[in-house]
Amino acid sequence: MSEPTQKYRDKEMVDAIIRKIKQLTEQIGEKVRIMHVCGTHEHDLAKAGLRSLLPKEIELIAGPGCPVCVSSAQDVDEVLWIADNHNVTITTFGDMMRVPGSKESLYQAQGRGVDVQVIYGISDAIKLAEENPEKEFLFFSVGFETTSCVTAAEVIRTKLPNFSIYASHKLIPPAMELLMQRDDLEFQGFLAPGHVSTIIGAKPYDFIPEKYNFPVAVAGFEPVDILLGIYALLKQFNENTSRVDNMYKRYVRHEGNVAALKTLEEAYVVADARWRGLGVWPNTGHEIADKYSHIDAKKKYEIPELETTDLHSGCICDEILVGKSKPHQCKLFNKACRPDHPIGACMVSHEGTCNVAATYEEIIWED
Amino acid sequence: MCLAIPGLVCEIISEKRVMVDITGVRREADTSLLEEPLDVGDYVLVHTGFIIQKLDPEQAKEDLKLWDEILSS
Repeated sequence: MSEPTQKYRDKEMVDAIIRKIKQLTEQIGEKVRIMHVCGTHEHDLAKAGLRSLLPKEIELIAGPGCPVCVSSAQDVDEVLWIADNHNVTITTFGDMMRVPGSKESLYQAQGRGVDVQVIYGISDAIKLAEENPEKEFLFFSVGFETTSCVTAAEVIRTKLPNFSIYASHKLIPPAMELLMQRDDLEFQGFLAPGHVSTIIGAKPYDFIPEKYNFPVAVAGFEPVDILLGIYALLKQFNENTSRVDNMYKRYVRHEGNVAALKTLEEAYVVADARWRGLGVWPNTGHEIADKYSHIDAKKKYEIPELETTDLHSGCICDEILVGKSKPHQCKLFNKACRPDHPIGACMVSHEGTCNVAATYEEIIWED
Repeated sequence: MCLAIPGLVCEIISEKRVMVDITGVRREADTSLLEEPLDVGDYVLVHTGFIIQKLDPEQAKEDLKLWDEILSS
């Protein structure tokens, strides 16, 4: 038995919220563009067909919320350089396998003999290292706060000479700030990611209404959860106000998960991070703190400067990631670049904007 | 990838490990990231083998009140 999620998929409730959303949209009387920054939101709302239920004045835009999609080619290249030059076994999440590096993905490298093992979580990687002390292992850790705090717990407690972590961790709130500062993006509110928020809480979004007068709603992932988030944002628009509405209170506390936050703070330092096709965004990442450098693959191996390419010819992942273009506007979409043959990172993960668009024939914006 | 699956704690194994029932599949989960203690019968969110948060049952009831307001208005 699991949490009785059925009630969060209740048709009567969905219909009732949609009616409310339509009333509010009429009262607002203009287009509203809402950005979410969560791959799971994109996947789940597409799977439930929620865009098709919303009035056409409401646009839901996918921002850079898929950690697999935003990881840079340089990260893949460096991990492969370590594997090639130090005979290291790479362990990582299945989603990372086909993320394009500059020359090849982990999956392609596996084909030429590089030892790459797909695991469910970091504990499996540690178990492999414990069982094979004669071999060297690296865990390629990608993720936002939700995933990086799990890695952080192991950074603190794991002491194995044959195990290291390559951290490619990104932070959501500072990325949201950079998105608001871009004048080439047009949107009026944020649907904040539910599971990142279980860790960081609703509090870190407070600066968004305070400093930018921008509405925020934290939302969960069932159809009722997502629609309630949209409803909360529309209420703010209609009242001409901005605040942080937490619509996922059953799992998101205002202060977040205090123990997990302490773990993040102990294990990492805030650092600049490379986002695919978008360059280096200041203070949007977490690197392993010096105190734990024994487990940091970037310190353990002297990685030379590599020439890297994030975007292959014709790929517009950089524009897709910030919601500036839609998948259908990419000339590779569903032609050369498909879920079974991804060219851009947004087509790799089942939560990537292009992969979702291809899988669920999701029309993200009408022309 | 920030996918977290709701599950039900069905057995306390040790201080840092519990057994979670996720739609009928039983799986061990690590509780190191949780400050508050867990009991059998708690609903939790599991992410890559770790419990990242516990459901607040009082709040879940409050949510239902909000729904009633929307349904009845």
